[in-house]
Amino acid sequence: MEMEREKREEKPKYKFNRLETLKLIGPWVDAHWDGLRVAKKEGKKVAWSMGPLFPIAYAMDIPCHFHAGYAAYCGGRKGVPPLLEAAEAEGHILDACSYHRLHMGVISAIEKKLPIREEVMLPTPDIVLSARLCTEHTHQSDAIYRHLKVPTIAIDIIPAHRESDFKMLENYTKRQLTEVAIPFLEDFCGRKFDYDRLSELLAVLKKASEIRNECWKFFELVPSPWTLWDWGVSIAPVFYLMGQPKTVDYFQQLKAELQQRVDQGIGAVHPQENFRVYWDGWVPWSFLGPISRKLLSFGANPIVGKYPWEFFPHPEGIDPNRPIDSIVEQWYSYMMSTRSSPEFALPFIEESVEKYHLDGMIMFASRTCRLWNLGEQDIIDEIERKYGIPGVVLEADMIDPKFFSEGQIDTRLQALFEMMEARKRRRR
Amino acid sequence: MEQTLNQIFNLVTDPYTGIAAWKERLQKKVVGCMPMHLPEELVHAAGLQPVVLWRSNEPVTLGHAHVYTFNCGLTRSVVDDAVKGKLAVLDGIITYDLCLQARELPFIINRNAPPAYLETVYIPGPVTAPVYKDFLLENFRNLKASLEKFSGQTMTQDALRQSIALYNRQRGLLRQLYALRRQTPGLIRAKEMLAIVQSGMLMPKEEHIPLLENLIAELPKRTVSSGKKARVVLSGCMCQTPRFDLLDLIEEEGMAVIDDEIYVGGRYFFHDVAETGDPLEALAERYLNRTIPCPTKVDWTNHWGDYLVDWVGQQKAQGVVTLLVKFCPPHLCYYPDVKKRLANANIPEVMLEVEHEVVSLEQVRTRLQAFVEEIR
Repeated sequence: MEMEREKREEKPKYKFNRLETLKLIGPWVDAHWDGLRVAKKEGKKVAWSMGPLFPIAYAMDIPCHFHAGYAAYCGGRKGVPPLLEAAEAEGHILDACSYHRLHMGVISAIEKKLPIREEVMLPTPDIVLSARLCTEHTHQSDAIYRHLKVPTIAIDIIPAHRESDFKMLENYTKRQLTEVAIPFLEDFCGRKFDYDRLSELLAVLKKASEIRNECWKFFELVPSPWTLWDWGVSIAPVFYLMGQPKTVDYFQQLKAELQQRVDQGIGAVHPQENFRVYWDGWVPWSFLGPISRKLLSFGANPIVGKYPWEFFPHPEGIDPNRPIDSIVEQWYSYMMSTRSSPEFALPFIEESVEKYHLDGMIMFASRTCRLWNLGEQDIIDEIERKYGIPGVVLEADMIDPKFFSEGQIDTRLQALFEMMEARKRRRR
Repeated sequence: MEQTLNQIFNLVTDPYTGIAAWKERLQKKVVGCMPMHLPEELVHAAGLQPVVLWRSNEPVTLGHAHVYTFNCGLTRSVVDDAVKGKLAVLDGIITYDLCLQARELPFIINRNAPPAYLETVYIPGPVTAPVYKDFLLENFRNLKASLEKFSGQTMTQDALRQSIALYNRQRGLLRQLYALRRQTPGLIRAKEMLAIVQSGMLMPKEEHIPLLENLIAELPKRTVSSGKKARVVLSGCMCQTPRFDLLDLIEEEGMAVIDDEIYVGGRYFFHDVAETGDPLEALAERYLNRTIPCPTKVDWTNHWGDYLVDWVGQQKAQGVVTLLVKFCPPHLCYYPDVKKRLANANIPEVMLEVEHEVVSLEQVRTRLQAFVEEIR
C-alpha cells in the first residue's frame, strides 16, 4: 500500500499539451530519408551534404542528405548506438565528433554490409558536398572521400568574428559557390546549374520562414503555447525539407493551432508554466524525451535557444531573384552562420531575457562538439550579473548516449530550479 | 653547448620569465601567434616580435571557469594563463579559426584579459582553387595593415623580404640539426630537439640562430651510446608540445627518435618561403603547399597516410609513434585512416595521447614495451 502511494506521488505533476500539427513531421522526415534509399535503388544519383550545401543539390534535382538532419533523425529513431559501435570497431575515438563517428559508422556498415535497421541507414552517396561552417564538416567529407572515393567538393563558410567582416566573407563564399561548387556540380550532372529551380525553392522557403517567424512571436507570451522542443521538431521544413509547398501549409496550420491555444488560454505546460528557460547549444536529439521530462517535472518550458534560432531567422532578406546572393547574405548579413558564436550570441541572449521573460539558462555542452561551447560559462556570468537570472551547464552530447549521465543532469537541474525558485520568490 | 641547452630548456620550461627578460632588453612589443599557420614573418617585419602561443608549465585551475575540461590542453592552458594574468607579458595576440576551439578563444581572452592588441584573421581551410589564394592574400593584407597600425611602423617590401630571409635561415639551421639526428640516432634526445625547436618559437630568430649554430658545431662531438636502438619517427601532435616525460619514455624503452613530423618539430620548418617575387604571395604559397598533408586543411585527395608510408620508408624507420593531442578534432577525425594505411603497409604504429596534465606513465610504458618488442 505504502509503495503504491509513493509511486502515485512520484508521477509527474506536469504534462505537455502536444500540438496536433507536429504529428505531420514524422511521416515527412521518414519519407525524406526513405526517399534517398528509394532513389538510389531506382538508379538515381544521391548526394550527402556535410554542412548546409544541400540547396544546390536540390536545385539540380539530386536527392540529398543533410548530416545534422540525419543525425537528429537517427537519434530520434533510436538508431545511433549500433552505428557508433561500428565506427568504434574501426578505431574511431570517443572524443571525436559524434556526428562524424555516426557517418563513419554508416560507411563501415556499407563497406561491411552490417545489419543496420534499414530506416536509419543511408544509401552510398554518388557525390559529397561539404560546407565548412564547422571545421568538422570538412574533416567528415575528407574522411568519406578516403573511404568511398566518390566525387567530393568542399567550400569554406567561416563564421565571422565581427560585423565589419560580413561583406568580405560574403564575397568569399559567393566566389566559392560560383567558381568551385556550382561548376563541380554542373560537371557531375552534365548540365547547367538550374538557378530558376533554386529561386523557386527560396521563394517557398521565404514564405514558410516568414510564417514560422510569426509562430516564434508566440514564445513571447506567458504562458507560451509551445516549447522549444516543438520548434526543434519543426526545423526540417525550413531546412532540409525546404522548398516543398506543404512546408508553407505546415506553418500556417501551426500558427492557427497556436492562436487557437492562446484564444482558449491553453499553455504548452499543463497545469501551469512555472519557469521559462533559455536553452543553449544543440537540441539533444537522442535524449529529447528524458530531458524534456526532467524539465517538465519542474514545470519548466524551454523557450528560446541560439542554435534553434539559426535557420533562416531573417527571411525578409531572401530575394528569390538573386538566389546565390541571398543564400550567402543569409549566412552572414542575416546572421545564420554567426548567431551562435559567442560574440553575437551574447547580445542575442541579452535581448531574449526580457523579450521572452526568461527565468534561467541551461547551457547544453556537447562533449564531442566543441562548436560554440567555449564562452558559455562567460555568458552565464554576464547574464547573471546583468539580469540576475541563474544558469547551469549540462554536459552530455548531441547523440552519443555514453556521455549522457542522468545523475549529473538531475543534480544540476535541481540546483538551477532551486535558485530560480528562490529568486522568483524574492522578486514577488 | 651545455650552456646553450640550459638556456633553451630554461626558456621552454618558463617562457614567461624568459620572454620578459629579452623583451626588457630589446624593448620590443611581443605578439603571441596562434600555432600552425600564421606567418610570423609579417609580425616581425612590422617591427614587433612574434612568439608562438605555448602550453603552460602548470595544471589548469582558474581557466576551467571559462573553458570546459573536454577541450585540448593548449586551449585550456592559454585561457588559464590569460585569466591568471600570466599572458601579461604579451602586448598582442593573433588568432584564427584553426579549429572549433581556436574559433572561440578570442571571445574569452577579450572578455577576461584583453591584451593591447587582439586580432583575428581568416585562413581558408581548402587550398586548391584560385579563390583560396586570393582570400588568403586579402587576409594577409588586412593583417599587415592591422600590424602596422599597432606598431606605428610601415612595413616595406624590403623589410618583409628581410624577415623572410631571416626565418628561412633559421629553418635551414633546424633542418641541419635534423639531418645530424638522422645520421646519428641518439645524438640529440627527443626532448632536446623539441626544446630546441620550441625555443625558436619563443625568442627572436636573430638570437636563436647563434644558438643553433653553436649546437650544429658542438653536438657532433657528443659520445653516443653504441647500444642498438629501434628507429622510430614521431607523427602528429598538432599545435602543442608533448610532455617531455612522454618522449623520455620512448627512449627509455629502447627506441631512438630519428625524425618527426610534429608541429613543434619537422612541420614548423619543413618549407621555406620563396625569397623572390611578391613576399606576401610567397607567404600565402607556403600555407597553400600540400606537403606535409595537414589534417587542419581541407585536402581530400591528399592522404596523410600515403605521405607517412613514403616518409617512413625513406627514413628506414621501424615504426611510427603517433602523438595525438587529446581533444584535437582535426587529428581525431583523420587518425583512424592513417592508422589503417600504415597497417596496410605493414608499418608498426602506436598511438599515445598527449595531455596537458600528468598522465599515467606506467600504462604508457607498458604499451611502449609491447610496441618495441613488435618492431625489434
